[in-house]
Amino acid sequence: MAVDRASLDVHRGEVFTLLGPSGCGKTTTLRLVAGLERPDGGEITLRGRVVASVSRRIFVQPNHRNLGMVFQSYAIWPHMTVFDNVAYPLSLRGLARAAIRERVARVLDLVGLAGLEMRAATMLSGGQMQRLALCRALVYEPDLLLLDEPFSNLDAKLREQMRLELKLLQRRLGITVLFVTHDQIEALSLSDRIAVMQRGRVEQVGPPRSLYERPESAFVRDFVGSTVILRGRVSALEPGRVSVALDGALGGRTVAGRSISTAALVTGAEVHVAIRPEDIEVDGARADGAALPGVIDALLFVGDRYETRVSLGGEQRIVLLLPRSREWKEGQPVSLAFPPDTVSVWPV
Amino acid sequence: MARVGAPLAAPIAARPAWRLDSEAVVGTGVLAVVAFGVVYPVLLVVLQSFQTALPGQPAVYGLDGWRAALAEPALRSSLWNTLTVTFVRQLLSLPLAVFIAWLLARTDLPARRWIEFAFWAAFFLPPLTVTLSWILLLDPEYGLINTSLAALPFLGKGPFNIYSFWGIVWVHLITGSLTVKVILLTPAFRNMNASFEEASRVVGAGTLRTALRITVPVMAPVILSVLLLGTMVSLQTFEVEQVLGTPFRFFVFSTTIYDLLVTRVPRYDAATALSVLVLAAMLPLILAQQWLTRGRRYTTVTGQFQNKPHALGAWRWPALGVAAAVVSVVLGAPVVFALLGTFMKLFGFFHVPEPWTLDNWRTVLGDELFARSLRNTVVLAVGTAVTAVFLHSLIAYIAVRTRYAGRRLLDFVSWLPFTVPGVILGLALLWFFLGTPLLRPLYGTTAVLIVAGLISGMPLGVQIIKSGLLQLGGELEEASRIAGATWWTTYRRIVLRLMAPTLMAVGMITFVGAARNIANIALLSTTANRPLAILQLDYIAQKKLEEAVVIASIIMLISLAGALAAYLLGVRGNVG
Repeated sequence: MAVDRASLDVHRGEVFTLLGPSGCGKTTTLRLVAGLERPDGGEITLRGRVVASVSRRIFVQPNHRNLGMVFQSYAIWPHMTVFDNVAYPLSLRGLARAAIRERVARVLDLVGLAGLEMRAATMLSGGQMQRLALCRALVYEPDLLLLDEPFSNLDAKLREQMRLELKLLQRRLGITVLFVTHDQIEALSLSDRIAVMQRGRVEQVGPPRSLYERPESAFVRDFVGSTVILRGRVSALEPGRVSVALDGALGGRTVAGRSISTAALVTGAEVHVAIRPEDIEVDGARADGAALPGVIDALLFVGDRYETRVSLGGEQRIVLLLPRSREWKEGQPVSLAFPPDTVSVWPV
Repeated sequence: MARVGAPLAAPIAARPAWRLDSEAVVGTGVLAVVAFGVVYPVLLVVLQSFQTALPGQPAVYGLDGWRAALAEPALRSSLWNTLTVTFVRQLLSLPLAVFIAWLLARTDLPARRWIEFAFWAAFFLPPLTVTLSWILLLDPEYGLINTSLAALPFLGKGPFNIYSFWGIVWVHLITGSLTVKVILLTPAFRNMNASFEEASRVVGAGTLRTALRITVPVMAPVILSVLLLGTMVSLQTFEVEQVLGTPFRFFVFSTTIYDLLVTRVPRYDAATALSVLVLAAMLPLILAQQWLTRGRRYTTVTGQFQNKPHALGAWRWPALGVAAAVVSVVLGAPVVFALLGTFMKLFGFFHVPEPWTLDNWRTVLGDELFARSLRNTVVLAVGTAVTAVFLHSLIAYIAVRTRYAGRRLLDFVSWLPFTVPGVILGLALLWFFLGTPLLRPLYGTTAVLIVAGLISGMPLGVQIIKSGLLQLGGELEEASRIAGATWWTTYRRIVLRLMAPTLMAVGMITFVGAARNIANIALLSTTANRPLAILQLDYIAQKKLEEAVVIASIIMLISLAGALAAYLLGVRGNVG
């Protein structure tokens, strides 16, 4: 079973994203909505109309759902011109030829493909094909636009550009979008809300920021963004705050943070301390008191910043990004402060 | 909210649930028809092998047929002959075919496109025509090569005899073993990712070492799959042994079965028992073949990797020499000598005074029999091609594109005709048509022969369309469904347009196959529906070789035209 007990609501006019590793069931969910797969349980409703319901024996064929979809491969029909590709859905809807021509021109103009109408669809570049696929999906004003990893076949620079274009277009047209991706940057930057999926289940639904800053499960915490994790035991419990005595090479040091609401902790329990690397305050000086000591192990200059690996003693190493505004050296001792507001404590 | 245009028609209400199952209804219908046409005859064969009574007498069931098949020395020797001929054919043809495919696909061999087409054309040559041509060259008494060599001082008599084990192997190498492997392997070699080879070249291996250590091992599953296909094909050849083996009492499975059937007292039990043995030997080969090809990923080949051919350097011209020599043996000699043979007063005798004449053509073309047979062949070939494109594409579409529960079974059943020797399939269909009251009136019509052609062409036709569909990528169809098109509109406006070249090529291949088919219809055809291929066999049986070779040449020309058309349509052995 690819998808199990996934219950989701997409609001009109929003970009809703299914995010998860490959094989998590996000594409299957999208194809269920599109009508390309048949559910063996549950119900799907589009704008108040039930399009699939197992208990009521309803299944609306994909061509009767009035959806738009951009495929990962774009699925541009190679035997048609640019114009024919976009006109196809309109001709299926019985529009007059003049109306078709006018609408196709308008939608091509919207994405900057005007003037390419008569070009063979196979003679387009990757970015143009993607825009054409988008035109074909938008031209008949679908109730919902489905995007299946639409950026994965583009190179990095084009991907960033198309991401921005899509966001602007969506805002302008006010279309509702269901977007599937495994790329957290795409998900975070494009979405109004994100559902993180794993093994066919929805782990957490929420706006990008809350997902990033307040993950509710270890999976969401580790999948969205990167996380530094230290091991330890609870040494003191106060309302809203937990102090953790660290293990291993950091033994004797204490870090404080907020506890995850979902689980009750007791003093002495084994826990994980988690923090986003960018929340760690790094100072190029020897550690004192509350801060943890570390040594820069490896230093990579990547242009706008440094990527470093910092050893915390023993086998414990973490990867951090350091600003270019200061000088860093390999072998340099540093102090790492963990602001308690940004630290979360998780039961093991 | 900005709008692109006016709102479109309101969504259409949900349809009742029964409509969803049109897939299952159509799937089950096709499966039933195919199973009836394929499985039922096979079951008849199995049943008949236990039925020992003579034809026309009440049925008696026993094991006599099986006893004969397993114990009689003549039948046992035919088993042994089949195995040795098959083994030697594969042993000799495989390395040569791999070498030629590698030359054509991975090197800068001059004129490689032309050579590839020559192999494609040679694959379409009717085996009987090729056999007749090589009789002209290698007949022990008057064969042209033998008489030329006999003129040399140190040789008293020509050294070659085509009516021998090695003669049969030689003709087989030319008619099927080599060409079919080359045309299947070349596209597979061409689609291989070149970076495997380039990595080997970079670490210091030469062209030859790279070919032997990297290319061939990487391609091993494909090579093995082609070897299995070749073995299956060679287990059921018929015409070559029938013409070359019978004169020196050399029988293989298929000719023994034919012999048992066409004698005065046909021994259906022994013949069918032998057939069941062939079938049993084929089944594991088919399963192995399907298993080998199932895991393979079919993806459209894109321009993502550069396929720069290896430079052969100084070896270019010797390699071209080898390839050209092979082409002249598999294509040149058969075509030239078949045509030459049609102008001979006495087939094969080059040294009689005034050996050339146009009388053979005059006799044949003026014959009423010929006109009728030609008409039958045209009706048969066109009818088979048209129905095959429809039926085979439907089978392939259901097997590949639907979630119909029986699609695997349908796929397997479409392979079954490959397991049944052509002669036996013909016999089974004979019983099938005579034994089914509803179908009995069809006996003697061309429709019967079309059914035989449909069934025997099914494995190849379905495979070619299947691999074409797999390369098409399902998203092209799904995009159309999402855009609002029905299943039927999608099939018409997307699938059919994109598959048109493949379907037409399958039509051409089926056309040629039906025009030259002998084994399947030898027992089915009557004087009323006799096509050219059978007329030719009748002429050979009457020792009228001059007339036979004229008809053989006509069939050959039809086949070559079909080969050219299919090649231009772009199918070059793209089979799983």
